[in-house]
Amino acid sequence: MRTTSTKYFSPAVLVSLLAGLVFSYPFLWMFLSAFKTNKEIYQPLLLFPDDYEWDAFASLFSGKYLDFIRFFLNSVFISCAQALFATVVTASAGFAFAKLDFPLKGALFLLAVLVILVPKQALAIPLFEWLTWLELNGSRWAVILPGIASGLGIVFFTQIFSRIPNELIDLARVEGASLPRTFLAILPLVAPALVTYGLIHFILAWQEHLFPLILLSDANQTLPLGLAKLRDSSHRIPEAVAMAAATFTLVPVVALFAVFYGKMRTALAELTLH
Amino acid sequence: MPLCLSVDLALQHPDYVPDYREDAAPERGEGAVSTISGTVDWLNISWEPEEQAANKPVEKYVGLENFSYVLGDPKFHKALKNTSLYVLVTIGIALPLAFFLAHFLRQVPGLIRPVLSFLLLLPGLCLSGVLATLFQLFFHGREGALNQWLVTPMGLDPINWLLDPSFVLPALVLQAVWRWTGFIVLFFLCGMEAIPNAYYEAAKVEGANTWRVMRSITFPAVRHVAVFAAVFLIIDGFASFSGAYNLLGGSGGILDSGLLLVTYLYQVAFPGGSGQFDFPAAAAMSLLVVPLTALVLFLVLFGRNRLFKA
Repeated sequence: MRTTSTKYFSPAVLVSLLAGLVFSYPFLWMFLSAFKTNKEIYQPLLLFPDDYEWDAFASLFSGKYLDFIRFFLNSVFISCAQALFATVVTASAGFAFAKLDFPLKGALFLLAVLVILVPKQALAIPLFEWLTWLELNGSRWAVILPGIASGLGIVFFTQIFSRIPNELIDLARVEGASLPRTFLAILPLVAPALVTYGLIHFILAWQEHLFPLILLSDANQTLPLGLAKLRDSSHRIPEAVAMAAATFTLVPVVALFAVFYGKMRTALAELTLH
Repeated sequence: MPLCLSVDLALQHPDYVPDYREDAAPERGEGAVSTISGTVDWLNISWEPEEQAANKPVEKYVGLENFSYVLGDPKFHKALKNTSLYVLVTIGIALPLAFFLAHFLRQVPGLIRPVLSFLLLLPGLCLSGVLATLFQLFFHGREGALNQWLVTPMGLDPINWLLDPSFVLPALVLQAVWRWTGFIVLFFLCGMEAIPNAYYEAAKVEGANTWRVMRSITFPAVRHVAVFAAVFLIIDGFASFSGAYNLLGGSGGILDSGLLLVTYLYQVAFPGGSGQFDFPAAAAMSLLVVPLTALVLFLVLFGRNRLFKA
């Protein structure tokens, strides 16, 4: 790592500080706006509210406008399930592509790359048809299942596993370990990559809007839909409630990221070394 | 597999309804259709030949009709143009901005560097609905931060970002840049931190200036990160829906100036937007998008290979 300039006051530090401020200031404003009245919110340059009222949070969690806790739990369930299954599936696929020989390997890998090139959203219509045919329309699994297949994950894990020395696999074979056993024994070696991919997939699932919008029934809706409902055009609901809800959609993700940030940077630095 | 389904769907007649969909989604505008055909049936009781005609199932496949319909649709052209412009401008702004920010961040002392890069990451972590809400309340408007801090100090009239047709797309681009720059900075930063220190010392000995160092050492080291980021931005740009949906309420904005492909797809396939219920046309549309995205990405990756050879 470079240690040429560790001055605390240099143009570079100033520029970085300014950028950090510009990028995150709106979120501070958002959090403080949860305490404001509508009149105060419509003055964007005002940062601090006159007095701190917790009404917005109270009405959010008492379900006065919509059952926020249910939206929240749906989102948590869908995102966790998607991240978990996607990591398991793509990690094992990546292991197979990197370390095993099987017929049509090249063609199948090409197919995985092709899946990256086609955004999932562009296939919304046929997926909708397919899921309707499977009679999953409206259930939470309708959103989880299409999210599991990820070409990006397969390519990512193939890269990761190809860096594991072949000798390890051979050693396991000599010791008489079965293939699944070998795979499980290798997994701790790629833990940062597993965490990184799981996190990124979690974020993408957490932010997904189109699929929940067209697929989920009223009881299973997720946070992006709830947020849109809180901000409907009638302006019946105080803006502060939407601001409080927005804060609570951000908090879990930020907490997760803050915890795993170091691990994630390790994995990314390893990847870019190639 | 969904691709094959999409092909099948794209060749179907707009009025053809498979039996599994009839009971699955009765409320989606089809209620109106069936009442009309119901009245027709009732009227035709005494008219045997006509009744047969009314009950004759709609031909399932219509060949390439849907494709030619979509290709001739001016709204589709508009959406395609908007999306391409949106993707190109977003990449053009976000990549250089992220590169320079990462370059500056690398010179920041190690203790506060992760904190600052995390602050940059915040917009990428939150729902794009939140970004759109913040845009409406905080940046947008006569009193908004953009007009008060950026436009008015430059001596210009305040801009109505969401109602002026020439500023809807820039508003979307701004949102995308704000959202993704932090992530790209993180990627660049990890790439830059992996450069061995010896390279820089060698450059110093050789007497290279800052610009020369950046061009010959820093940039080549993060080039594949830049390619990855560009690919990611292209895919996300063609697939972007949520930001525009929240900002413009599912419409294309004034004069459709902010109409993106997926928004239009949604409008055509699911009424509420424009009232049409046209799965096959939507499928044909998404099929046309697929090779287009693939082509753009192929060009990017192909260009990358040539760069590596050179």
